[in-house]
Amino acid sequence: MLTAENLRKSYAGVEALRGVSFEVRPGEVVGLVGENGAGKSTLMRLLAGTQRPSGGRILRDGQPVSLASPRDANAMGIAMVFQEQSLILNLSVAENLFLGQDGEFVRHGLIDRRALRRAALHQLAKVGLDIDPDRRAGELSFAQRQMVELAKALALEDRVDRDLVILLDEPTSVLEQAEIDLLFSRVRDLQSRASFVFVSHRLDEVLAISDRVYVMRDGAVVAEAPASAVTPADLHQMMVGRGVRTEYYLESRQEPPRSDVALAVRGLGQQGAFRDVSFDLHRGEVLGLAGVIGSGREALIRVLFGFERPDAGGMEVEGQAYAPRSPADAVARGLGFVPSERRTEGLVMTLSLGANITLARIREAMTPWGLSRSKEQALARDWISRLGIRTPSADTPCRNLSGGNQQKVVLAKWRTAGSRVLILDHPTRGVDVGAKEEVFRLIRDLCDEGVAILLVADTLEETIGLSHRVLVMRDGAISAELPAPAGGKPEQVRIVEHMV
Amino acid sequence: MTTTAGKGRASARLWTSVPWRALAPVVVLAALCIALGLAADNFATAGNFARIATSAAVPAVLATGVTLVILMGGIDLSVEGAMAVAAVVAALVLVAAPGALGAVAAAFAALAAGAALGAVSGAIHVGLRAPSFMVTLGTWFIGLGLAVWLVGGGTVSVRDSELRVLALVRLGGLPLSVWVALGTVLIAWVLQSRTRLGRALFAVGGGEDLAAQSGVPVGRVKVAAFALAGLCYGLGAVLAVAQLGQGNAEIGTGRLFAAVSAAVVGGTSLLGGHGGVLHSLVGVLVVVVLSNGMILLGVPPYLQQAVQGLLIIIAVAVSLDRRGQGLVK
Amino acid sequence: MITLAAPGPRLRAALPMLVLAGLMAALGLAVPGFASPATLLLVLADTATLFVLAAGLSFVIVIGSIDLGVTATASLAGVVTALLLPGWGGWAFPVALAAGLLAGTVTGLVHVGLRVPSFIASLAAGGVVGGLTLWLSDAQAVTIGQTDRPWLDWVAGETAGLPHIIVVAAGALLLGWGLQRLTPLGRFGLAIGASEPATVASGVRVARYKVLAFALSGLFAALAGIMLAARLTSGSPTGASELLLPSIAAVIVGGTAITGGTGGVARTAVGALTVSVARLGMTFLGVDAFAQQILFGVVLIAAVAITTDRASVVVTK
Repeated sequence: MLTAENLRKSYAGVEALRGVSFEVRPGEVVGLVGENGAGKSTLMRLLAGTQRPSGGRILRDGQPVSLASPRDANAMGIAMVFQEQSLILNLSVAENLFLGQDGEFVRHGLIDRRALRRAALHQLAKVGLDIDPDRRAGELSFAQRQMVELAKALALEDRVDRDLVILLDEPTSVLEQAEIDLLFSRVRDLQSRASFVFVSHRLDEVLAISDRVYVMRDGAVVAEAPASAVTPADLHQMMVGRGVRTEYYLESRQEPPRSDVALAVRGLGQQGAFRDVSFDLHRGEVLGLAGVIGSGREALIRVLFGFERPDAGGMEVEGQAYAPRSPADAVARGLGFVPSERRTEGLVMTLSLGANITLARIREAMTPWGLSRSKEQALARDWISRLGIRTPSADTPCRNLSGGNQQKVVLAKWRTAGSRVLILDHPTRGVDVGAKEEVFRLIRDLCDEGVAILLVADTLEETIGLSHRVLVMRDGAISAELPAPAGGKPEQVRIVEHMV
Repeated sequence: MTTTAGKGRASARLWTSVPWRALAPVVVLAALCIALGLAADNFATAGNFARIATSAAVPAVLATGVTLVILMGGIDLSVEGAMAVAAVVAALVLVAAPGALGAVAAAFAALAAGAALGAVSGAIHVGLRAPSFMVTLGTWFIGLGLAVWLVGGGTVSVRDSELRVLALVRLGGLPLSVWVALGTVLIAWVLQSRTRLGRALFAVGGGEDLAAQSGVPVGRVKVAAFALAGLCYGLGAVLAVAQLGQGNAEIGTGRLFAAVSAAVVGGTSLLGGHGGVLHSLVGVLVVVVLSNGMILLGVPPYLQQAVQGLLIIIAVAVSLDRRGQGLVK
Repeated sequence: MITLAAPGPRLRAALPMLVLAGLMAALGLAVPGFASPATLLLVLADTATLFVLAAGLSFVIVIGSIDLGVTATASLAGVVTALLLPGWGGWAFPVALAAGLLAGTVTGLVHVGLRVPSFIASLAAGGVVGGLTLWLSDAQAVTIGQTDRPWLDWVAGETAGLPHIIVVAAGALLLGWGLQRLTPLGRFGLAIGASEPATVASGVRVARYKVLAFALSGLFAALAGIMLAARLTSGSPTGASELLLPSIAAVIVGGTAITGGTGGVARTAVGALTVSVARLGMTFLGVDAFAQQILFGVVLIAAVAITTDRASVVVTK
């Protein structure tokens, strides 16, 4: 039995978990669902020992435990199968399975490779994976690696004298249907040996495999139910919670887009990521991109901004051919990018607010005598007042600002650069609820000024609420295009049915 | 598990799993030998091959050491400093204690000195989380300074010592030093492929954070690797003292370059996790054959350093996977 | 730099100055004649070459890279100067500077274009440059003859008691400071060192500025090589090699983190003076030259450890 009591976790002042209680009974498969940012992954990380809680406690069979590292968690019989793969690719499968535990195979100072191989075969047989343990992990398919990770987690049962809890964090996002079926049948076979926590975006899958389901929203558990008692639609309703509050997204300020096309995309494709993507993005329009992880939308926006090159198709910006070789080319053509990884890609955290605002177009701070701090600061102060950025001064390093204010600095950077097409990648990630509304207001302001916006949002609700139109991507292709005019927003389920 | 089925697969795998890319350095070596054989009459002679083997002995030992560190994704620039200390220590012991016993003591003292300097580098690198190239740049000069200080800037002649047996006595037409170098490479190969430490080197090189997460004692592994590398430099110093009949602080001058080029030319990735000491042995032979060839062809000796520099750049550029998005600092 | 000033970093930024002031005060008390203007001028003149070398290096360290080839470049420039002065007169200097610029640019292109880590790219490029220099000079120091010495007056001479070399170094400081403070290069350099992905995503042509940093490093190194040759009245093919460690130490001791993103030429001036004064102090105290080398190794490692913000570094290779 694994119990979490009133767990709390905050990152830089933003509460990701606000008092979560959670329980996994022996031999049980527990589903965990919630929208992005609901706190699922944070909860997983606390249970797996990769992060420490800010409050509350974790109990194993009724005893409070401290999980300071994955090793501690392992010692308590808890193992995580990571969403981002954690195998070391240049090592063999056998070496990966027993990484850090290879002491038991040492004979006369040397590793007994046959014993290691035998033990590896034994572990692989548990998950029904028929591969040579001497192969390098890097040679395996994603599905095979996932199975190896599962086998690695299960290998704990030989070392730990208690029932296992295995955390599966979105294990199906990289798998094909046949592989998912295989994974599920393994999980069922293994239920006698371990209990599982299963996190996924695909609600039907969760209900198919789980005995019991927890629903999370805004860092808290909002519902708990036997899987047999609920439908995917019920789960979805609980995940979203409130009925659609139109004014949250300032729908009354949504004006029809202008007629001129800012960005045209024709038959765009990139090997293995997306194919045959075509759309027009108009001035003053918010175009929402919906899709699950792996649907190709992340790769698409990276190609649009010049980080990567397409293999097929073409693009036009304001009627002129556009083939960026780097983000610098994209910026030169009037594009801007608000990345989801704000701390690494959005801002140079150690530089001042003023320096970041002028980074994309430094000539705004230049005078005939060179770079002028006073001109830069004046510009920064102007943006501070226009966007309501809360900061001690224009000289403050960006790392000292809150998430919402940092996001405003990113927007100020692109407005200084005169961007006419903005790609917003999860613009409200890591932003407080109150600051989110300010970001929405800024998006509406941008539209009023004729800026064209391509939006990849945290939640479907946000996508629908802010967009004029929603493009749905599935398996690398556009599967649907739905209009979302003010007063005529589509139902979420209509979008979900095109996503999966 | 049916073992026969496993064996069948294994043999079928043998052909497809031949690491052709890893064999490229061997092909380069062969091509180099053939080209030089055609271009220089006196290249393909038994005498010249023995000369090549003899001059490869010290670089092979040094490259073995530096390879252990590079496998982890680190770098060790302290080769010349460690050699200087070890050589001077060996020479001083030889002077103080002549005879066979003195020679043995000198060798052990040199190994200990090298290993100690390496362990210090590793401990600082791990303890202060300072980049390895910076730390070993520091210990490089600390080593040189120590060596000069120990002998007051001069040279200690040990022309008549028993240690010179290593260079003067021949076995199968080759000096003992060549056999010692080969033995070292062999031991390092066993260590690299068959011991926990060796496999941990690959794990750290392949993914340090993941290895730590799985319970690999990353810090201890790193210190051990730097210490073993230092041990190799100490041995390289012993062989060099035996060959030259003297010990001084300049004994290692230019050696770092040869060792690092050998490692990267052999196909050990600077990013860590790929390659190994056998690769480096091939790399050493490429470097040594090339300079031997240049001498035979009358290339000005100073240009050889320039050629080695180019060789490093070409080898690293070819071996790096540029599709990756990773940062290069 | 004002942009970086927050309560914590402010103390860290002031530390190098305090160390320098402390060292000078201690030396002033211990050595009676030290505080005289003549001695101070001597210290400045002695520091000039090291500073110019380190100033160029600081462009590279600010972007988070390293250039281990600067001393080879300096030696090349010294040898080129000494070889060309008899035939070409004053044209020897621009040629030497151009050679340094070329060496730096090539190093930068190898690093950025071929994605070779900078320490190995610059080590290898330094090897190539060093090999060429040995070949050009036939591994001998090239003496600058009596008749060509007047050409060196702009470096080696003095006016009204003020050694020209100090003026040259001040000029280099002004140039470097201006480049860092008044041009986009300086700002982008800091941004690249602090967060290369964010700088790329802001549309800055990062590759171009990285190569430029290496090119400047080569140019400054060449100037340092000319200064060295002028003082010694000969171009030695390995003459500058002993300056590698002190020059890196000067940059780091001045407060520029080896991980990049902070610091610059002005701090390097403080660092170079610190290194110089420390060396002078040790000589006064009778510490011999070899022990000084050991001490520099130790100081370098310590300074790297102090200036690195370890909390932000997950994996150190």
